[in-house]
Amino acid sequence: MKERIVGFAIKFPWVVIGITALITIFFALQFPKIKIDTDPENMLPADSEVRLFDHQTKEDFGLSDFIAVGVVSEENAFTPDLLNRIYAITDEIKNIEGVIVDDILAPSEVDDIKQGEGGVLIIEPLMSGEISTPEEARYILARIKENPILRGKLASDDGKAIALFIPIESKSMSHRIAGEIKEITKKYGKDEVYHIAGLPVAEDSFGAEMFTQMVYSAPAAFLIIFLLMFAFFRNFRVVMVPMLVAIVTVIWSMGLLILTGNTVHIMSSMIPIFLIPIAVLNSIHIISEFHDRFSKYKHKDATIRHTIGELFLPLLFTSLTTIAGFASLATTPIPPVQVFGIFVAFGVLVSWALSLTLNPAIGILIPDAALRNFGRSDDKHGVMSKILHRIRDYSWKRSGAIIVTAVIVAVVSGVGLSMLEINDNPVKWFKKSHPIRQADIVMNQHLAGTYMNYLVVDAGEPEAIKRPEVQKYIESLQRDLEKDPIVGATTGVTDVVKKVRYELFGADSAQMFIPKTADEVGQMLFMFEMSGGDPEDLFKFVTSDYDRANLWVQLRDGDNKAVSRVVERAEQYLRDNPPPTGIQAHWAGLPYINIEWQKQMVSGMRTSFLSTFVIVLIMMVILFRSIRWGLISMLPLTLTVMAIYAFIGFIGKPYDMPVAVLSALTLGLSIDFAIHFIERFKMNFRRNPDFKEAYHEIFEGTGRAIFRNIIVIAIGFVPMTFSNLVPYVTVGTFFLAIMLVSGMVTLFLLPAIMKQYHRSLFAVKKTVVNHEKVAAN
Amino acid sequence: MKTKISRTLGTIAIAASLAISVNAQDAVEIAKKAHLNYYYAANDGLAEVSMKIVDSKGNERNRRFSMLRMDEADGGDQKYYTYFYEPSDVQRMTFMVHKSAAGNDKRWIYVPAVDLIKPIAADDKNSSFVGSDFTYEDVSGRLWTEDNHTLTGEAKLNDRDVFILESKPIKPYKGFSRRVSYIDKELYLPLKEEFYDGKDKLERVLTAEKIETIDNIPTVTERKMQNLQKNRYTVVSFTSIKYDLGVKADLFTERYLKTPPREYIK
Repeated sequence: MKERIVGFAIKFPWVVIGITALITIFFALQFPKIKIDTDPENMLPADSEVRLFDHQTKEDFGLSDFIAVGVVSEENAFTPDLLNRIYAITDEIKNIEGVIVDDILAPSEVDDIKQGEGGVLIIEPLMSGEISTPEEARYILARIKENPILRGKLASDDGKAIALFIPIESKSMSHRIAGEIKEITKKYGKDEVYHIAGLPVAEDSFGAEMFTQMVYSAPAAFLIIFLLMFAFFRNFRVVMVPMLVAIVTVIWSMGLLILTGNTVHIMSSMIPIFLIPIAVLNSIHIISEFHDRFSKYKHKDATIRHTIGELFLPLLFTSLTTIAGFASLATTPIPPVQVFGIFVAFGVLVSWALSLTLNPAIGILIPDAALRNFGRSDDKHGVMSKILHRIRDYSWKRSGAIIVTAVIVAVVSGVGLSMLEINDNPVKWFKKSHPIRQADIVMNQHLAGTYMNYLVVDAGEPEAIKRPEVQKYIESLQRDLEKDPIVGATTGVTDVVKKVRYELFGADSAQMFIPKTADEVGQMLFMFEMSGGDPEDLFKFVTSDYDRANLWVQLRDGDNKAVSRVVERAEQYLRDNPPPTGIQAHWAGLPYINIEWQKQMVSGMRTSFLSTFVIVLIMMVILFRSIRWGLISMLPLTLTVMAIYAFIGFIGKPYDMPVAVLSALTLGLSIDFAIHFIERFKMNFRRNPDFKEAYHEIFEGTGRAIFRNIIVIAIGFVPMTFSNLVPYVTVGTFFLAIMLVSGMVTLFLLPAIMKQYHRSLFAVKKTVVNHEKVAAN
Repeated sequence: MKTKISRTLGTIAIAASLAISVNAQDAVEIAKKAHLNYYYAANDGLAEVSMKIVDSKGNERNRRFSMLRMDEADGGDQKYYTYFYEPSDVQRMTFMVHKSAAGNDKRWIYVPAVDLIKPIAADDKNSSFVGSDFTYEDVSGRLWTEDNHTLTGEAKLNDRDVFILESKPIKPYKGFSRRVSYIDKELYLPLKEEFYDGKDKLERVLTAEKIETIDNIPTVTERKMQNLQKNRYTVVSFTSIKYDLGVKADLFTERYLKTPPREYIK
């Protein structure tokens, strides 16, 4: 079969090239239809319970996602000049398209309940016009501190920071709106520092910056890979072939993704980055082999046939294992990860098919003259070979020590793995120096927090929230949640009731408590509406028929780990203090959604990884027709995965979404070297059943191909590690680590094991070979 | 030829300016007459009011209260007394307004659960009345002297002939930047009012849903206020309307907030 395919490609190269070109043009034409989606919420299916409840909660309580704007002045933010400028800034923000003007929280927008002259109750904006004296400025700060609904939220107690919360119609507008707000603050700003934070901005900005990254990092990696290949093979036309295969692979995969109506998500935007090295890996093996054989055959046709014949099985299996690794992502419950997995798997299939068709087709068209010097340089005496020979001899001599070292590495890695900490926070997808990270750090230091979760207390029947026992229960739940250091503030209908009562009794703090009857609670809330309070402000905390209350839980930290702790705390409280009958509590909010999809991702990735591991092992057993060899071939992969993830555990980097998804890549790529190494080793040995000779032979052609791969892929993605976006840094580092570790294990440990146990490993094989020979005779 | 044209133009100009001043005169007159009919009917009045507030999600909230009004003079000071029946937890809450034509209204509320009378600020007339889409000003009226009025046309609305009146606040006002009223030519009652916000976008629409003649006084007994921007509305209907009861001024004092006058409030 393989001969027929390659034969066709060699006989009718233009047909192969023409068909490939047509398909490529077809897929390239899909690109303008690209749809971009950067909402991490879509990590959960649209009909997942958590999301549906979150949306229902937002609708029921009129809540929106918001952008948090922080103004920090280390001396004092409460000066007439700065407050007046913030007043002007707020006024301009109101004109931005997509801002929900009525719900803005800012000194000039929020209502304050207070005592007027002669004990008159007033509800009016905290700052109803420009001010001129420091006393007025101080008064505004004092009012914020006296209001449980605003304290910590709108200003820090020390008066150094002021926050504006800008609600927006849709999360997907947040990057644009944040940009417009930045312009406005530039116009009015002086010495104070302005920060823009919040999950929606982080998430949406990540999407925007991600595409800029793509524009640079994919071509940069491409260029470096090209240059490194050129350095190895010194022939422009030959090196162009794998690059072409890589481009065509990317176009087909992304084209099909767009054609099938899938959105380009944070995950799928990385498909090109993943496909380029995978496509190049195959080609390097082909060219290396071609390079080594060309000087021997001196005939293109025969060299190509030989090369493909020699590499067909290893290429098939390295591709199959990579496909298995990525296709397994389709079993995770996270739609963007499924899409990512399926289309990378498709790309791997394409690149495999192309390397058997397009590669030879173009190869045959390269004029002989252009290949005159190709392969002439004797690799056997180059630097690369010198290094490989040292490794070869070292592994031979120190096989025992190498095996012991590997065991030690495995044990130490076990410790590192146990230190792995599952955590994620979309804000931390930006490097620490990024303005969004800085805003997050500074604002959460000064204020009650930029992360908003909602705890919906469902009392089951209308009017029930007004019952004093329910009010008191919510109040004590608030006090308990506030004990967690990351809970900056909790705000609920209880605070409105108490605040009204306090002001009704002439700002008497002794009267600031939950009333003893439901009627009184009702009358306090009615007072709020009677005295000019906006009912829509009230109904952000309670439904209009008072069957459910919404507790705003403001967090200073959006790490899933921290958010989970608060969620767990609430659950613990509900368990320890059984609530009044009929009461249930459920969470909503972006931070909560994030911990939910993380949970699903972690368990999903575990299943997907373990099942792929088993599938790959079965493939290896089939390929090598031996359980023992199957297990040995899994060693580089196992050690690579363990070492890399242990390293992550040791340095305390969280196991987050990119790290989790990269386990599929690690699995798919780490096995490749072992397949080539063992399969070719056995091939050599079958041809010439002399162990030592086969051992030496493997460190020539195959060893060089592996070595070139290590260098090309590891270095090719170094530019990614300079990205502003942490997931890109992670991916770049992973490529480097996968290549180095799996390459080293393949070149040191596999030969060491073969040497150590060659009598038993190859004795069995010998008889099989003899049988085959007998059969052949 | 030339002189003839300029003479003609001159005549037109004079006629036009006359028309404008006549128009302005008319406009103010119409505004005043409608205001007095709407807010100052008879010398006093009593009604039971049912209010239905429907939010954008279709949730309904109801309020029921009695409202007693007494005018000191047409277009002058007024006193209002409100007693709540529903929602049930606010039953016996009372509310009193001393409206002053000069502009410094006073408001008090009585909270029965804590047996306390509290004066509440009346500076912001544009704030919501008991959480509805009506503002305090919609309930007690904005004096016609606070706005400039222009008669912009005449039309038919629900088969009734109406004046179309455009009013703009003389002093900048948060409540609206422009109000267009459709005033019944025969009854001199507004059948419809459109309120435009600071960006000149239509914000609220008031419509007279039902007009009945009570004691010979045409009265809008059902009113609907829609907030188009917030997609919500409030309907109030007036029943058991009585005029000229001879209500005494001392009824509108703090004493009666705690113990409602039984002759009017059941």
